[in-house]
Amino acid sequence: MRNRDNRISTIVFAILVLLVLLPLLAVLFQIVCPGLDLAKFDLSNLSILGDVFARPLWRKAFLNSLALAAGTTAVALLVAGAMAWIRTQYRFPGAKLLDLTAWVLMIIPSFILAQGWVYFSAGNGIAKAWFGLSWMSDYVFSFPGLVTVMTLCKWPMAYITIKTALEWEPIRLMHAAHMNGASAWRVWKDIQLPLMLPALCSAAMLIFMDTVGDYGLSSTITAVYSFPTLPYTIYSAICNSPARFDMAGVLSLCLMVLIVLAMFIQYKAMGSKRYDFLDNGTRKSEPRELTKGKTVVITLIAGGFCIIALGVPIGSSLIMSFSSAISIEGFSFTLENYQSVFASDSTLLTGIAHSLGLAVIAAGIGLIIAFCCAYVLTYSKSPLKKAIDMTTLIAMAVPGVVLGVGYIFVWNQKWLVPLGLHLYGTPAILVLAVVAAAIPLINRVLVAGMAKIPESLMTAAEMQGAGFITKIRTVMLPLLHNSAVSAVLSAFGGSIFNLAITTILYPPNWETLPVWISDSYNDLKFGQAAAATIISGICIITIMFLLERLLNMGSRKKGNAYGNNS
Amino acid sequence: MKKYFALALAALLGLAGCSNGTSEVSDSATTTTSETTAQTSSIEQQASEPLTVYLNDFDAIIPDLFKEKTGYDVEVVVGNGAETMSRISAEASNPQWDVVWLDSMYDIQNLNSEGMIMTDVEVDNAANLTDEFASLVPSDKSFYPTGAHAAGVIVYRNDVWSEEDAPKSYDDLTDPKYADAIGMADPGVAAPAYPLAAYFFDEKGMDGGMDYFTTLFENGLKVYPKNPQVVEAMASGEISIAMLQESNAYSMLAEGEPITIIWPEGGAAASTRVAAICSQTDQPDVAKAFVNFLLDPEVQQALINTGDEGFFTPSVDGVTTKEQRDASAPLAIADVVFGAENEADIKAWFADYSAQ
Repeated sequence: MRNRDNRISTIVFAILVLLVLLPLLAVLFQIVCPGLDLAKFDLSNLSILGDVFARPLWRKAFLNSLALAAGTTAVALLVAGAMAWIRTQYRFPGAKLLDLTAWVLMIIPSFILAQGWVYFSAGNGIAKAWFGLSWMSDYVFSFPGLVTVMTLCKWPMAYITIKTALEWEPIRLMHAAHMNGASAWRVWKDIQLPLMLPALCSAAMLIFMDTVGDYGLSSTITAVYSFPTLPYTIYSAICNSPARFDMAGVLSLCLMVLIVLAMFIQYKAMGSKRYDFLDNGTRKSEPRELTKGKTVVITLIAGGFCIIALGVPIGSSLIMSFSSAISIEGFSFTLENYQSVFASDSTLLTGIAHSLGLAVIAAGIGLIIAFCCAYVLTYSKSPLKKAIDMTTLIAMAVPGVVLGVGYIFVWNQKWLVPLGLHLYGTPAILVLAVVAAAIPLINRVLVAGMAKIPESLMTAAEMQGAGFITKIRTVMLPLLHNSAVSAVLSAFGGSIFNLAITTILYPPNWETLPVWISDSYNDLKFGQAAAATIISGICIITIMFLLERLLNMGSRKKGNAYGNNS
Repeated sequence: MKKYFALALAALLGLAGCSNGTSEVSDSATTTTSETTAQTSSIEQQASEPLTVYLNDFDAIIPDLFKEKTGYDVEVVVGNGAETMSRISAEASNPQWDVVWLDSMYDIQNLNSEGMIMTDVEVDNAANLTDEFASLVPSDKSFYPTGAHAAGVIVYRNDVWSEEDAPKSYDDLTDPKYADAIGMADPGVAAPAYPLAAYFFDEKGMDGGMDYFTTLFENGLKVYPKNPQVVEAMASGEISIAMLQESNAYSMLAEGEPITIIWPEGGAAASTRVAAICSQTDQPDVAKAFVNFLLDPEVQQALINTGDEGFFTPSVDGVTTKEQRDASAPLAIADVVFGAENEADIKAWFADYSAQ
């Protein structure tokens, strides 16, 4: 058992080193060895670390990122927690709209959401031109506005994580508390809330890391409202001439320091307590009926929230896709944007096909690797456990643009050519990088799911003669079904639109969807970019919806097999 | 000790082949190989693989146009100027490009200083260059200009400013009456914005350039990452005056935005598009054919007629510019050596000042 766990840990760690640490190290090594030229190796270059707080741009980027990530984490956790709570506890019309909104928002990349918010809130945007909301521009393009927009984009990850945790109730403990006279509030505060701590911490980490490392939203909004962040400044350092890979290394290090600090807070918050409450004293939570008045209020809150979070950015893109002008004030209805997207010389459909292929492979390979990761992190006693945990978290925080450049350094070596491993310039390098980017998210969601499965269940299966594979297949996978489906679908969606990595690594003449949309936007073809967003969004959401139905078919057939006080 | 540490880390990264010493050997070996290749392989043999060209515009028409003109295949890798230069830097130990064609003359000059581009490139169509552009060809013939466009015409919203009140020259922009009204692209991010900034530093000296932009910043200058974002800001009314790349300015006019374009007295700061060949290419003759192709008047006319970025002054005789463009379209180009040598400093100063 111990040997097998160690073997799995070693393999997992080796894969993570290859996919994540090596490229990252290649970028960080630039600090002391600019251009990876050993003749320039000089440890005194480490002094530029101090420049983070000396150079105005770097200092501002660091503080902006910290404030934005902390603010978004706090607000999004509250919002997602509230939405997950009403979704799991109460029955109301349109409850599934919350799930749908969360899924769609997780699929849509931040740069597209940001484009939608810019179309809506800009000085000549929809809010002012059509609704007379002249204050919208000043509000959205301010720090509180950015936190609001970030929250509306990032809450779904926390929502899904918390909702998954709320699906099971420690009913025996709750009954015991009720019988001892505890009020419903006390039961929630002293029993349910503490047992949700892993999910809450996990959700907070997901939001913090996703926000602090987000390039798409901050760069798009930054274009209108000057708010330099670390990812954007890293991009500027790398995509500059002369390229400053050493600066990118320093700033990447800052990002990692922020994440290590967040991890430290998470470990301190969780301590060494156990949270594996899923046993025969638990049941699947059933939403309760409410009075008509309360049902209407909750429906309005949930519906209004979905309209703001999803309706505003996507609706704005939809309107822009029919606009003949880049300014909404000059709007006149046209179908030309859609015609140009489907024109015979358009490469959008090829881009969609490439991106879908990439995402399928990334989600598949990512699931296998991330499952092994999550297994090691939850059940193994391997000495590599902490290193694996840290690596997956780092992978989540490293901006795609840094990972992309690191991949060039690692996979563009002349000596790899005779070995057939010169992957730079081929779609294979995109697959590796997108898998690397997908693993942390799948892993986090699976870890949150596995935290609820007590080791005693696994031990019991072993004592009944179940082998490792049988144990995984008959005990773990059924209990992890929802988490696994959530993880795979979100990784699939995220991989399709991975802008930063594909921008840096796409092979010649190998169009991808995010690059196509981004290029159109940058070329001022707002209508075309919006039309491509709408078309690809419909295609991808349909595919994912079908995929979700397919993957959940088995669990639906089993009905409440796991819900009847199992 | 630190050398051992470096070697160990380099070995871990698999980067030992990138050491300077090896690189020099590798460079000279490659140069020798290229020369040998050029001597022993015909252009047809070299053309068995498509030529790889890194560029930032005209990607939609170049492959077919080159195939039609020469019969050779070309693969284009398109990205904005900064992304492309970043890619070239990251690939320094093993370049994947044969030709780079960007409106970033100063960056290409820096590549030349690092020995990354081929020198003594002779092409027949260089004879077509106008005197103005022939003077931009360096003495070592390491790159050729294919055109130049205004990196910063003055654009103002005519529903905000009357013709009398509007600025007529770059110096007018420092007038306090334009406080909080002016925007431009970031020289550190947008390829054409650096030649614009470099023009002021070259024209006024380093201190004079800093003074000029300090005045603008104190007057509320807004810096956006790229020119499209400047356009957005102009269209939204967030700013009402901009130093804008001419193609974006004419696009705004075509979109019906209420703007007027002013070509500043003394010429608009210009960005020059140049083509250079990688010193390590194994297709030197096809690469030269590509550079020669770019200096063909018919090709430049096709670029003006069909390309997205067709607003530019051609570098060769016998080409007609776009009708909408100012007939004289005076351009002012910062000195190539000055622009290249001071690029890092100017960009760093600008980035830090605009962040404050």
